[in-house]
Formats: sequence, C-alpha cells, structure tokens
Amino acid sequence: MNILEMRHISKNFGKHLVLNDLNFTVPEHSIFGLIGKNGAGKTTAMKMIMGFLKPTSGKILVCGENVAYGNTATNRFIGYLPDVPEFYGYMTAKEYLVMCGRITGLKKLQIHERVQELLPLVGLDGIKREIHSFSRGMKQRLGIAQALLNTPKLLICDEATSALDPQGRKEILDLLSVAADQTTVIFSTHILSDVERICDSIGLLHEGTLALHGKLSEVKNTYRKEAVRIETIDEVQARRLFEHLRTLSFIQSVETSQCAVTVQLHDPQKNGLKIIDLLSDEQIPITNYQLLEPTLENVFLDVIK
Amino acid sequence: MNGFTAFFKKELLEAIRNYRVLILFSVTAIFGMMSPLTAKMMPDILANVGVEGMVLKIPEPTFIDAFTQFFKNFSQMGTVVLLLVFGGLLSQDLAKGTLIIPLSKGLSRHAVILAKYASALTLWTLSYVLAALINYGYTLYFFQTISVSHLFFSLFCLWLFGAFLLAFLLLASVVTRGAFGGLLVTAAGLGILLICQAIFRMDPFNPLKLVSENVALLTGKAAFDQLLNTAWSTCALILSTLILAMMLFKKKSI
Repeated sequence: MNILEMRHISKNFGKHLVLNDLNFTVPEHSIFGLIGKNGAGKTTAMKMIMGFLKPTSGKILVCGENVAYGNTATNRFIGYLPDVPEFYGYMTAKEYLVMCGRITGLKKLQIHERVQELLPLVGLDGIKREIHSFSRGMKQRLGIAQALLNTPKLLICDEATSALDPQGRKEILDLLSVAADQTTVIFSTHILSDVERICDSIGLLHEGTLALHGKLSEVKNTYRKEAVRIETIDEVQARRLFEHLRTLSFIQSVETSQCAVTVQLHDPQKNGLKIIDLLSDEQIPITNYQLLEPTLENVFLDVIK
Repeated sequence: MNGFTAFFKKELLEAIRNYRVLILFSVTAIFGMMSPLTAKMMPDILANVGVEGMVLKIPEPTFIDAFTQFFKNFSQMGTVVLLLVFGGLLSQDLAKGTLIIPLSKGLSRHAVILAKYASALTLWTLSYVLAALINYGYTLYFFQTISVSHLFFSLFCLWLFGAFLLAFLLLASVVTRGAFGGLLVTAAGLGILLICQAIFRMDPFNPLKLVSENVALLTGKAAFDQLLNTAWSTCALILSTLILAMMLFKKKSI
C-alpha cells in the first residue's frame, strides 16, 4: 500500500514556479529520501503534505485520504519534524509532550505511557530544565519524540540533520533508523551521506520535478561508471603510468591529478588484471588500487548538470 | 474539544510563566486602589501646591469622583496595558513558528482562535473584577456611602470594551504578518473609532461609547437605553469579529 501519493502537484509563488507537475509515491515501510538543492522545493512539498500550503494544482493522498488545505484530518496519520522545530520555551520537555498528546486526542494513561517510552528513547529522560535552555540537538530530539507520540504511519522529517554537528546528526539518524521499524519515513535533506546511510529509496527534486526516483541500489546501478583509481608513490610514476595506459585499447579515458590516475574502462574485473600486469611489468609502485563505486554525490551532480 | 482544552491550558501556563498574569493583575489592582485614593486626596494635594494669594475652592470629593478616576484610568492606561500584555497573543506564535507542531498534531485552527480568546478574556475578566472589587471596597471605606443606579452596568460596559478590544486584536493578528502587526492594526483601528466618535458623531454603534459614558450613566446624565443598545451591538461585533478571524485563519498559510 502507498502511504503517500503526490499526483500532478504544481505550486507557484507569484511568477516563480517551485513545483511543476510533481508525481511520486512512497510505499509502506520504506525510508524515502527526498533530496535536492537548497530552494528545490523540498520544504514546500512537505508543507503541502501537512496542509500548511495550498497546491496551485494537483492532489495529495495520505493513507488513501485526500489532504485538505487548512484543517486536514490526514494529519492524524502523520508525525512532522520541521527543519528547526520551535517549541514553547517556558515548558519542560515532558510538559510539551503531554500537551501534544492531549491535542492529538490520546487518553491520559496512553500519554503517560508514551512519554515514559519516548523520553528515554531520545535521551531526554530526567531533564527537568525548560526548553529554552536546550541545545539544538536536544530540541531536534524532542522534535522526534513529539513526532512519534501518536505512533504515526508516516514520519516526515524536513532537513532534520542539516543544522546539527556530526554527533547530533548521528543521534538523529540512529533514532530515525529505530523509528523506521514501525513507520514509514520521508526524510528531506541536501546532505547525501545521510541519505546513503539510512534511506532505501530516493527521489531527486530538480527544477520542480523528480529527476530521479527509485530504490537507492537501483539508482546507483543505473549510474554505475566502470572506473578504477590508482595512486602511485609520486607524480613522476603517475605520469609514467598515464602514458602507458593511454596506449591500451580497452581504456576509454584516463586522467591524472598529482599522484592519482583515474581510468574509465570496459569490464574492470577482467581488464583490471591487465592493468596490474602492466604495473608489475613496468615496475610502477602503487599505494592504492580501487574500483570506484558510484556515490550518490556523483549521481546527484550528474543529474542536476 | 481536546485541542481547545489543551491549548487553553497552554495559554494560561504561558501567561503565568511569562509574567503576563503578574503584570496585568498588579497594574489593575493598583488602578483599583489608586482611584478612590486620588479622589480622596485631591483637595489636599491641590491645597499643598496652591500658589500664594490664590484661593482654590474645591468641592468636597464624593464617591462619584472615585469612580470617575477608576473609569478614566481603565479607559486610557488600562487600554494601553491590555494591548501591551496581549499584543503578541497570536502574532508571537505565528512569527516564531511555534504553532506548526501543535497544528501538525491535529489541533484545529478554530480551536487556536477560540482558546486564545477564551484565555485572554478569562485573565481580563479576573483582573478587572479584582480591580472593581478593590475600588468598591476602598470607595466604601473612604466615602462611606455608594448610592447610584446602573453601577453594575456601567462597570460591565468597560469590561465589554476590553472584550471587544481582545477580539479585534485577534482578527488584526490573523490579517497581518510579523510580531507586531496585530498590535499596530489594533492601535490604528482604535484611532479610526476615535475619529468616528469625535468628527462624524457615529455614536450609537461605536464601542468607544462604552468607555466614555460610564460616569454620565452613574449621575443620570446619559440614557441607559442608548448605552444598552451600544452594548448589544458591541456583543454582535465581537461575535462577528471572532467568526471572521476563524474563517480567515483557516485559510492562512502557516
């Protein structure tokens, strides 16, 4: 079943077209990474799913129900973590969660149970300070706790890690991985390593539409480039290797920068051995030999070129 | 309903923790205390600053003077205090983005407006009743007798004006952006009402009449029936202002 369906969504702010006939679906129990440059329309798309912004045209379905602009009943399925969550600074974390629980219609006992579960999960157990003294990372973790409070079917995280330091990012990503056991996650970001770490499928938002959409492994396979990178001990050796490689027939292209030589070739498993033979025949010492895997960054840069 | 109750509690907690309750109650209590006191002391004060050779003939103050002071304080300084204390009622929430999470949790937008109005009205009512009681007590203590007709209605009119001001403030905050938009538009709206009253004599339906005729009502110089009409029309105005605020807020981009 599809948790989320975006059908022909367009949105313009005045003359500026942000989303142009955007279509995609997110199946149940996946972690979907929505990536794109700053200003690509990620936050706009997410706010429309929450009913905070009105699409110029198109239709959004959450768990099969239509999202209505303004008051939308579909929000009962959703947990939302904004990029920089803003809380009432005069409350404690527990007070805030209790308030959210009441709003969302949980019974007193349920709220108590959920809060007892969630506060230790996000590492805010026993912290009795008011929220205005929290660090950014703590606020983000509290944001996850409130998003998970009503055991949502869909967890929407808008740039949840962008403003955090490496440790804070790791904590959030770990939390999201745990949360994904029970819910579907949509995670928007421009930090590609975060996507590679937790997402199983991705959508790349570029110029208002999804330029790429699919399982992360499939996307990477499609963009696989057969390449080998060899590092020699100095630049003279690199130059020698470069001259030799240029003459070989199975090599498509070769380039060198300082001590490293990058080679594009057919069938790197088989032909790679010939390169190793060459290295040994010509007595070129190397420090590293590596088959290049396509990174999401390469794919990303390729697509938005 | 869950949302309304939860958000209403949140509003009261906010007012307490951000010292709004403290400020509002102290100021109104001071008004309640000061009004009869200044009325009683006025002859003594004037006698002391009297210039030599000039004889000031001041009539003995009565309880009417105490109420004159009370209504003057509340209709002028009271309005300002009310606006400053509740100026950010909705604007702050919108400008800071603190409403996003509660709304994402399924809080209805109508509940936001209603809870904010109910909480502000509760605080205004409590502080005003406190001030009126203090004023009544001190007046009784200083002047022994209070015998007027329509005292309760006269006090009610001033309270109703406060209720109108709060509703208008909410509507203005829905329409404008930024942390002080609502406050500025409300101040501008009050200015327009003043102009209507002073220049165009649009008296019968002008809520400002509720705070300008209180003493006249006590002394029998203003007609009770006319003011009653203004009170009814202000009630209708409050209701329609709130409904409009809810309708517009539902369609507002957050």
